[in-house]
Amino acid sequence: MPDRLEQAITVLQTRFGSAAPRPAAPPCPTRPSGLAEIDALTGIGGWPVGRLSLLAGQKGSGKRTLAQQSVAATSREGVVAYVDFPSRLDPEFLHRFGARLDHLLVVRPKSLKEGMASVRVLARAGVDLICIDLPRRRSAGLDAELPHLLHRAAEADCTLLLVHDAEADDAIRYYASMILAFQRSAWVFRRDGDLEGLLVDATVVKNRLAPPGVKRRLLIPYPIP
Amino acid sequence: MICCVRTPHPSLVAAWLKAPVLRGRSLVIGGLAHERASVTTASAEARAQGVMEGMSLNQAQQFSPDAIFQPVDEEATARVRQSLLSTLHHFTPDVAAGEDPGCAFLKLDRLTLRWPDRSPLLAAISHAIDAVIRVTPTLGVASSMFVSKLAADHATVGVPVIVEPEKTRAYLARYPIDVLPLDDDLREYLELLGLRTIGRLQTISRHAFRRQFGVKALDIYDLGQGNDRRRLRPFRPPVRIEASEPLEPPVDNTEALQFIARALAERVSASLLAEGLGTRMVRITLTQESASPLPIEVRFAYPMTTVGELFDGIRPRLLAASIVAPLERITLRAGRLEAAYVRQPGLLIRRDGFKESIADAVARLQEEYGPSLVQRAEVHADAAPLVDHRILWKPA
Repeated sequence: MPDRLEQAITVLQTRFGSAAPRPAAPPCPTRPSGLAEIDALTGIGGWPVGRLSLLAGQKGSGKRTLAQQSVAATSREGVVAYVDFPSRLDPEFLHRFGARLDHLLVVRPKSLKEGMASVRVLARAGVDLICIDLPRRRSAGLDAELPHLLHRAAEADCTLLLVHDAEADDAIRYYASMILAFQRSAWVFRRDGDLEGLLVDATVVKNRLAPPGVKRRLLIPYPIP
Repeated sequence: MICCVRTPHPSLVAAWLKAPVLRGRSLVIGGLAHERASVTTASAEARAQGVMEGMSLNQAQQFSPDAIFQPVDEEATARVRQSLLSTLHHFTPDVAAGEDPGCAFLKLDRLTLRWPDRSPLLAAISHAIDAVIRVTPTLGVASSMFVSKLAADHATVGVPVIVEPEKTRAYLARYPIDVLPLDDDLREYLELLGLRTIGRLQTISRHAFRRQFGVKALDIYDLGQGNDRRRLRPFRPPVRIEASEPLEPPVDNTEALQFIARALAERVSASLLAEGLGTRMVRITLTQESASPLPIEVRFAYPMTTVGELFDGIRPRLLAASIVAPLERITLRAGRLEAAYVRQPGLLIRRDGFKESIADAVARLQEEYGPSLVQRAEVHADAAPLVDHRILWKPA
């Protein structure tokens, strides 16, 4: 590095703090989403580690199925937790996705505070991926919790996946490193009449790690019973 | 070598410490004379008149009409026993309490460098105990707990009985079998066979004894040979770890309270680290200006030592406390102390030493919010197609 550049950096760091002239961020490590199309859509090859990703969309748009597929994929490699606010997680559904249930912790909190405390503790303890299934009516007060949560997740290399119905609050949108919005396009059936999956329009609304705005139509498959 | 330190019953010593005029008088401990209770212990003067432990107080009064009767002062008794053990602990950490309340054992093996000659050591032990509880003990030194206790029982004040290992059998041989912890049946059998002394017992082979009395009686046989397999259970002196801070002027701001609590947690943590201990319960006492003190208990699933761990437990409880008046003082006391090495393997986890395992984290969450918070699911694919049959939820 030329001397003058070094001098300039020193001046900037003295005036604005050591983080002022930041080096370019190294490539962010990722965890698989369970669907190759989604991995490609994110631009970095999966869900970013140590950051929050938001899956948004109307009910029935496939975001929860995708989240559960991601949980199943990560459970095959490490420990995962599913914070089930609505208490409607179906382990059999996860099992059909090939999830290792012995690597899965299901947290069923009674309040947002309890749930967020669990996420903080589990992230710090080394859980690899935590999926937070948060209905819209339970999101009040989340803005105060998110900074602590993200700090813990970043420290512990824990991937946070937030499933949120409909429009997310401003705070969630601000703290999320990646926002994927889903819109249901059509149901897809097999020849025998069974449901094969859901055709959705997925859009990367926000992406701090790769170019946002990418839109793709893809099939979120359902597991074969 | 093991030294047995024998003092009168701690209740008796406690009574003497409280009222020195009772020394040399006939004293019976266990209750007042008219009470329906039994004798816990009695002074040598009362014993000389026929009073024995376990007899009723009425009977004791008949044997010794001029005796002074006193109830047991449990607290003072415990203090005396604690003082005896703590005094011995200053010599060596290998100290154990005996089953007999007035009896304590200490291993002398590690003291040979400091005390190459045994006599000054025994004199120093006697002197130290005398200085603390005002009673000169009798001392017995032998290769095992049983023999040393027997030696101490037959020693006189200032003249310890020392039984060298090679003379143990010969020393035991002269005693009657009653000194062994026999049950009634075995005593009767042995007496029927004419075995009234340990010396006669020693003449029988171990194999023959086992054949006659069974495996369970072999411990008695071994004691008779001078082999005591009981291990010395080391006594640990109680540690009180506490930090307190007066709040001047009184504080009614939880933000400030947190800072003070953290500083106190640092002090408690430093004391715990110095002792190599961890705490499983922290008791916070908030002294309020015009209201009764507010106690808060924080329990941990595992012994905690570091500031971060302690404060992580304390902070939410402090914030949730219903404080009704400004606080004048805050006190943190570490309770349920355990050896911190229990958590040492956790230090080997990558990143930092304060990271807890997932199992620890789950245990902590369940302790705080209930066992149903974190669950695991099991799917029984071959079960009937009913949710309750196919999916089994259980606490993680």
